[in-house]
Amino acid sequence: MKKVIDILKATEGISDWKINLHRRESCELFYIKGKLDCVRRTDTTNNLVTVYVDSDGCRGDAQFYVYPSTTQADIRRSCAEATKRATLIKNAPYTLPEGEEGEYSVESNFVSYDALALAKDIAAEALKANTVENAAINSLEVFVTRHCESIINSRGINKTQRRYDAMVEAIPTYNGEKESVELYEQYNFSNWDAEALRKEISEKMQEVKSRYEAAPPAEKLGCPVILRSEQLSQLFREMAWDIDYSSVYSRSALHQKGDAIQKAGSGDKISITMLGSIPGSVRSACFDADGLSLGSAEIIKDGIVCAYHGSNRFGQYIGEKPSGALPCIKVEKGSLAPEAFSSAPALEIVSMSGLQVDFYSDYIGGEVRLAYYFDGEKTIPLTGLSIAGKLSEVLAEIALSEKCALSGAYFGPEKALISNMNIF
Amino acid sequence: MSFSEFLSSRKCAAIELVEILGRSYDYVSILGADTKCLSVRADKNSCSISEGSDADSGFVIKLSRGGIFFEYSMDDLSGDMAELAKLIDSSFPAEAFEGMATLDRAALEDAPLEKDFCRESDIDEYSDEALLSFCKEQKDSLLSRCPKLLNAIAAVSYIDTHKLFISKNRRLTQHYTWCNGVLLGIYKDMGKVVQPREIAYGSTMKEVFDLLPTRIDPLIKKGDILVRAKPITPGVYDVITDPSITGLIAHEAFGHGVEMDQFVKDRALAQSYVGKAVASPICSMRDGAASALSAASFFFDDDGVLAHDTQIIKDGILITGISDLSSATILGTEPTGNGRRESIRRKAYARMTNTFFEAGKDKLEDMIASIDHGYMLFETNNGMEDPKNWAIQCVAEYGIEIINGKLTENYVSPVVMSGYVPDLLGSISMVSDDFRVIGSGACGKGYKEWVRVSDGGSALKVKVKLG
Repeated sequence: MKKVIDILKATEGISDWKINLHRRESCELFYIKGKLDCVRRTDTTNNLVTVYVDSDGCRGDAQFYVYPSTTQADIRRSCAEATKRATLIKNAPYTLPEGEEGEYSVESNFVSYDALALAKDIAAEALKANTVENAAINSLEVFVTRHCESIINSRGINKTQRRYDAMVEAIPTYNGEKESVELYEQYNFSNWDAEALRKEISEKMQEVKSRYEAAPPAEKLGCPVILRSEQLSQLFREMAWDIDYSSVYSRSALHQKGDAIQKAGSGDKISITMLGSIPGSVRSACFDADGLSLGSAEIIKDGIVCAYHGSNRFGQYIGEKPSGALPCIKVEKGSLAPEAFSSAPALEIVSMSGLQVDFYSDYIGGEVRLAYYFDGEKTIPLTGLSIAGKLSEVLAEIALSEKCALSGAYFGPEKALISNMNIF
Repeated sequence: MSFSEFLSSRKCAAIELVEILGRSYDYVSILGADTKCLSVRADKNSCSISEGSDADSGFVIKLSRGGIFFEYSMDDLSGDMAELAKLIDSSFPAEAFEGMATLDRAALEDAPLEKDFCRESDIDEYSDEALLSFCKEQKDSLLSRCPKLLNAIAAVSYIDTHKLFISKNRRLTQHYTWCNGVLLGIYKDMGKVVQPREIAYGSTMKEVFDLLPTRIDPLIKKGDILVRAKPITPGVYDVITDPSITGLIAHEAFGHGVEMDQFVKDRALAQSYVGKAVASPICSMRDGAASALSAASFFFDDDGVLAHDTQIIKDGILITGISDLSSATILGTEPTGNGRRESIRRKAYARMTNTFFEAGKDKLEDMIASIDHGYMLFETNNGMEDPKNWAIQCVAEYGIEIINGKLTENYVSPVVMSGYVPDLLGSISMVSDDFRVIGSGACGKGYKEWVRVSDGGSALKVKVKLG
């Protein structure tokens, strides 16, 4: 990288610069119906260079990529071109983070494993986890990746973080006399825990059996709906996106500080904190793409927007001390004990095509691939139905579980009971 | 326009590496990519010029031995090729895979072909200043014409793709460009904020420059529509789809289900329907990089297979699926030029390209007139496939209520279309005689592996569940 820095320093007109380096080394295994189809290894590096040019009281920026194959002549040419481009851009001025150096590692036990051996272990455990008769994992993909990310800027930022992640994509399938069915499973982790993987896959195998046994509801249902952590993660992330600095600056944010994100109602009040890291989350990071160290920012307290969040530039634009681009989200636990979710009729959503959450249209809903309907006495698996409701009415009455769970970059209530949903 | 100097300079090394690795593997190929992008954007408060995230550079070496594919993705082919071959070979130690169950495959064909492909573009004629000025003009035009716009964004971009494919018998290069433009408004009225958008696209920037300014008035009208739109009453309706929603159905409801790597995994119900009726007899569907000139038009795929024009459904009968090289070797079929990678870092899968329903014979006005009560749906928001069980979820930005054969002023948004694919395709009762392929999409497989796609077709009359 020294040659890039030397060229940046020597290029006339550049006021500031930043280099983001990202080396990825991965080992990937692909299985079809338990048979090994493909083995992949990758070792690639992307370096994204940003140049900043100050002129006429404004700041412009432009980026270009540098690869290990890029020649010095090409770097010089790209640097000159980017400088010219940045000169055309007349944005409001902002400063870069300054003077912090450090080397960080996001906690993971992957460091003690050989990547290929670990990928094989993960695949073996996933395939072994199927203990349901007539069920199979028709497709299994395992990705084990080591990331080394660095940021260097002209203001003394020089940080490096090493992190690991694994992703298992499995397609549990159930075969019987009827048409076979499948579900989609994606499991991400940064600590290798064979037991946790087995439990996750086993649950999915049970669920695919349930989907096989499921049928459309015999009559129209009119009961509360239970969302699980995967769906709640999506719901709360939509809330967080609405109040990031760039949304506020571009005037696309629907809410401002002091606004109630929930209408008056009997539901649990929602409190959300954005975080740099959550133990076990593959999205955890020590610093963001500008080099800002990542801590936490409480953005919604008891249903009221109390702060915005986001990256360095847009934070400065709206007069806030930048929180940094915080990748993880924590939602405070609610009031419902576990037994409250099984004490009255309710439809628990297990798998959806995708939960549609639209604050602009005040809409929440989607197509349900598997749900468990508790009719007050017994639990019935259902499929072939959809749910839809007014988001504002749902949030006013939402009841969150007191038990919390990790789902991707989300840590918060494991379940939520929502009412006012149309089930059709 | 000339082919990538970087890839040209590595061609000899690639040929040498293929030769060396060919001594130990049954099949060796190398795909090199040098993809450059530019994205230019202006809004009320700021503007930017940046290389886009679709930029890609490097190589993927694909090997086959003992029924297993091995791939190594790397940044460069440099240094001593014999040493590089050793590094690659040592990354796949044979003992690590001994005794593992593998798949039965047909031998890979490597038919000789040497050809350089190029689709001319005009991006060199547009300076950074010209692109930025254009975006600023469109943004200013939007803001000046509509006080209800809190903000307006205008952006143009291009992807300039260069690829090199080398195997024992094949020497291929291709170079092509695709251009996109988008207008987005932050529109506020009646206490509600909506985000209408309009798009333009083409193989030349001139097409984007010509088309995007004509989309300003439609965007403002759409803002007015969306802000007044109400939730739909869930139910089953007679529906007319615009070409965007038709494309969404072609892509999500059926296209993913005929990606033949899903056949190999028993993940696609369509496999058991080849040669059988899957749709109304007035319905025909195609896919292929050579089927239309659009966002997913290329000359050869990432397996080095030439672009095809594949008839998927003919008069309601499922003819065939679309495949990458790997799935074709397992199924014993011809690959159809649908092996595509997100980047050189990722695996090739069977992926759609330009996917659409063919034009029919009906007039759109007759189709609308045939509906007593229903909706016409417009503009794709998103969708999700379920190839195994043929459940669908397609989300339209908005719909207009049809009453007594006429479009009304009653707008609904958003509209989620769901149901069972054969029911939906079987319900197609009219197909319009106009036709449009929309070249601005991107598609994942499951929840990853994003590639550029297009889809579209004619207006369809269907019966489907809306919510």
